Amino acid sequence: MNCQNFEVVATELARGQMMQADARREALEHADDCDRCALRLRDENTLTMGFKALADEMASFEAPPELELKLREAFRVRPTPATVATGSKPRTLYWVAAVAAAVLIVMVSVAAVRLRRSSEPAQHAIMETPPTVVTPKENNKTPAQNVAVVSNRSKPKPRVSHSVATNRSPRQRKSETPVVANHAREITTEFMPIGYMIAANLQEGGQIVRVELPRSALASFGLPVNMDRYNEKVKADVLLGVDGLAHAIRFVQ
Amino acid sequence: MTGHNDLNDSELLQSMMTGDEEALAVLYRRRQAGIYRFALQMSGSQPIAEDVTQEVFLFLMREAHVFDPGRGSVSSFLMGVARNHVLRRLRGEHLMISLADESGDEDSIEIADADFSPLDDMTRAEMIERVRKAVLSLPPKYREVVVLCELQEISYGETAEILGCAIGTVRSRLHRARVLLLEKLRPEQVEDASAATVKSARCFA
Repeated sequence: MNCQNFEVVATELARGQMMQADARREALEHADDCDRCALRLRDENTLTMGFKALADEMASFEAPPELELKLREAFRVRPTPATVATGSKPRTLYWVAAVAAAVLIVMVSVAAVRLRRSSEPAQHAIMETPPTVVTPKENNKTPAQNVAVVSNRSKPKPRVSHSVATNRSPRQRKSETPVVANHAREITTEFMPIGYMIAANLQEGGQIVRVELPRSALASFGLPVNMDRYNEKVKADVLLGVDGLAHAIRFVQ
Repeated sequence: MTGHNDLNDSELLQSMMTGDEEALAVLYRRRQAGIYRFALQMSGSQPIAEDVTQEVFLFLMREAHVFDPGRGSVSSFLMGVARNHVLRRLRGEHLMISLADESGDEDSIEIADADFSPLDDMTRAEMIERVRKAVLSLPPKYREVVVLCELQEISYGETAEILGCAIGTVRSRLHRARVLLLEKLRPEQVEDASAATVKSARCFA
């Protein structure tokens, strides 16, 4: 070991810290041979003794007793008691609260919609609906567009068809289809394709037929099924192509 | 009361945050002395040490939720708060006692003449007083590692938590601080003869 290496370990040696036995032995041997490093080690040891003496001298020092009383009093009259925390940061708590609020809002909204649906009168009598014929006027449109056309013709608004009011204008009545006219208020899903819908099959028009299906059919299209009403039927509009095959379906409530 | 004494610091803190005054009292009694001594050894002023101790626990009452167990223990957290308060006070009041010129940022290490040890002929009381003043004269970044590691006998790891730095930084600062202290503790006659010291003279035996 040389003086440079000794300098590195001098502090650890003087502080009595854990170090490798070989390094310690070499450092002590070097201090025996080198007067300068021997003095360095002696100073370090004396300094360590000085620290210990100072620490011992101040070991009994502590804050005055009245400070505890002041703090207790301050604790009693503190403006807002600290809330329980489990070590998470306040920002995290804010996010958790925000997410909880958002979930609550969604749940309330869903509950309101369901309540609204269940309160509607069972006025949609099952009826044989005369097929609505879609004429092949728009040959350039894609199947999806054709479905949209059919949907729009059968209902002025895609999702909710308002009841036919008696005071409507003749122009409004003229534009409405029989399907809409016989339903006071309907909520429909979008048309969902059945199997692989080929564009050519809808180019020449199609028909919408109102049918009734077991409620379990909803599950086949990934829609939620109310298990309380599992045995009831559900109405649906089936889009038939000119080939007589069903190409798309939408559910009606 | 006995039940409170059985709780660890984190549990006491949790209990305190629910409004348990006794938990605060037990935590205070357990940690106040270390905080007070740290502030006293850093500042050399009893009023500052008292103020800092009080501020630390008032902060704990107000902002206990900022404690993150993942970043260290409650004691480290409290000591870190105390350190911030002490440094703020020192910046404001410049209470550092200077024995000599604060040459804390010198890069060179001077090694004294081999024939003389500066601490040899001090009595214990003299040594305590000189060491105390020498520690107070260190720049804060060296003083705090000396106070924590040497006077409070806190491990390098916990000191690193308190200071928010790496263990290697603590180790190197402590080494540097000890060298500075040895220079400061050298008697005046040696200081006068400091020209005779050999700067960075090292043998490579």
